Amino acid sequence: MDCKIIYLYPELMSLYGSYANVSLLKRHLEDLGNTVTVETVDFGGQADFAHADFVYMGAGTERSQKAVLADLIRFALELKTAAEDGCAMLFAGTAMELLGKTITDDAGTVYEGLGLAAFTSVQGKKRFVGDVYGKTNLYEPAVVGYMNKCATISGVESPLLTGMDMGFGNEGSKGSEGYHERNVFASELTGPLLVKNPLMLGAVLAAIYARRGESLPKEIPAYPYEEQGYAITAQQLKLRCEKV
Amino acid sequence: MRKLLAIIVCKFGRFVGKLIGKGSSMPGKFALKICPDILSRVQLPDHIIAVTGSNGKTSTVEMIAAILRAEGKNVVYNEEGSNQIEGVTTMVLTHSTLGGRMKADVLLIESDERYAAHSFQYFHPTQFVITNLYRDQLTRNGHPEWVYDAIAPAIHPETELILNADDPLSSCFARNHDKVTWFGVNECSISSKMPFGAYHDGAYCPVCKAPMEYDYYHYNQIGAYRCTKCDHKKPATDYTVTAVDLDGGTLTIDGNVTIQLAFRSIYNIYNILAAYTATRRVGVDSDVIAGVINNYILKNGRMQKFTLGQHHGTLLTSKHENSIAYDTNLRYIKQTKAPCTVVVIVDAVSRKYFTSETSWLWDIDFNQLDCACVEKVLLCGRYSNDLAVRFSFTDIQQDKLELHPDINEACESLKKDGDNDLYVVTCFSDRDKLLANVQKEAV
Ligand SMILES: [Zn+2]
Repeated sequence: MDCKIIYLYPELMSLYGSYANVSLLKRHLEDLGNTVTVETVDFGGQADFAHADFVYMGAGTERSQKAVLADLIRFALELKTAAEDGCAMLFAGTAMELLGKTITDDAGTVYEGLGLAAFTSVQGKKRFVGDVYGKTNLYEPAVVGYMNKCATISGVESPLLTGMDMGFGNEGSKGSEGYHERNVFASELTGPLLVKNPLMLGAVLAAIYARRGESLPKEIPAYPYEEQGYAITAQQLKLRCEKV
Repeated sequence: MRKLLAIIVCKFGRFVGKLIGKGSSMPGKFALKICPDILSRVQLPDHIIAVTGSNGKTSTVEMIAAILRAEGKNVVYNEEGSNQIEGVTTMVLTHSTLGGRMKADVLLIESDERYAAHSFQYFHPTQFVITNLYRDQLTRNGHPEWVYDAIAPAIHPETELILNADDPLSSCFARNHDKVTWFGVNECSISSKMPFGAYHDGAYCPVCKAPMEYDYYHYNQIGAYRCTKCDHKKPATDYTVTAVDLDGGTLTIDGNVTIQLAFRSIYNIYNILAAYTATRRVGVDSDVIAGVINNYILKNGRMQKFTLGQHHGTLLTSKHENSIAYDTNLRYIKQTKAPCTVVVIVDAVSRKYFTSETSWLWDIDFNQLDCACVEKVLLCGRYSNDLAVRFSFTDIQQDKLELHPDINEACESLKKDGDNDLYVVTCFSDRDKLLANVQKEAV
């Protein structure tokens, strides 16, 4: 396939090594025999979401997030149409909050979100910080990662993580985390979450193929470092869960 | 009465603490329980210098102390690095008379950037040096703008800010403040027209988020920036590095003060300049400062020499979770140009708390090791697989890489093989695992 990735505001929304999700996804797509082009969108830039296979945005500061929202809002309808059409997307870290109805900042100012989902985010003066060890409905093994956010998110009906043994969920305490509807993935897990979770990367790849009506090749290359890295982190976090 | 009691408890607690080898924050904690506003009730010295920022706090504070002592001043500072309010309280009270007068000419405080506002609610520094603000322990700290917002309430209108003109973020502290002294480095031999690093936090203005332009970069977002939309730009400097000769190991301040560099790294230059500026502002002569720094060896020993088999090794301590500390050390390795092996160890991410967080590896510009002089790179420790994935996205020839989850085994393999220079890049939390296997050399 010829695959097109649209990468939103790569320099501004770049905290916690967010870019690695795109780098890794691109490599895996290429290893499966696809040709991949990555188009970046910055302030005032153009984007053709109708022909995208994957749309990505990473984590940014709360101020950067608002600046990006003010610019991206002109594409709200196109993004929504693409999402309804099954386009695969990942909004990681603070980018997740943009998908909802509104974001309220720590001073009480309300910003209209992109409106792809019905949830609302409220930012506070405290950050939720810590390792995450959770479950998803997508597959059996654990999801691992790290959380650093200052928002509580209410009204998510279809979370990405359905439960957690360690970490903070959408509403702050344990519970469910992120958002997953059709092929749109979102999570406040920071940074290279697809690197840390090879099976989540697999789910995104499957979504991209499904949208095209294609099936994933039977022969999939092995990535021992990625898998070992995940296994060790999962084992460490599990030990930690058992201790607490 | 509460005040006296707090002072006595603190002094006694410190005395006992020293006997049993306990840290320095507990006595202050007790004193604060007895008298929460004790710091506003004691008589502090005329000069209170505080230093905060993402990198270089400890080195800058050590240099300021050495300079002021050479000038004959009685300086009290938190040498044990307990830089939250409890530690500051212990330090102040143990050096006070029972009447509550601090016996010192200068109180010098290395302040944790996240706790500065808490420490300075009862008194304020006369000089507040902010070295820089950039990605440091992001997973704990959130991000640099969050840290900025945490420091801002700590700034008293009467405090003289000593700011890095070359840092687009921490320079914003001057926007609502009258008394500001600027230090910065002019375009010189270390300047580059191209940005450094795996990310580009200088790409957008911290004030208005419009794109910024740079005349030159010194490292990461440090350089001469200019917003394309608002008035934010590198200001004119009061104390300036006008020339740098890294090969010769010298730098020149204000065109006429020459200083020898013990450690030829770019951020050592900024630390020296920050210490120079702060001590000039409290009246020390430039000759005295140059004299001290010329003979100065960093006490906290970020560089250590050793032998391992036939290899001559240098340990470049780089804080995990701080990409710029790593970047600077990688840049140092690259500029030595001699054939070498590099060992990168990530075994425990932090010695203070448990985490499996490794996203910071993606912020480090490991691609700097893609040069002819680097012959081999050993990736070691529990998170060596994460390192291997990260390195697979550099241009370094993959056959130069070796994976060694076991650090002792890595040392054995180095002992058996080769005699090129060895650079070990790792954190305080992991360095002893290597040092246990080597013979240290006297500095
Ligand atoms: Zn601006």
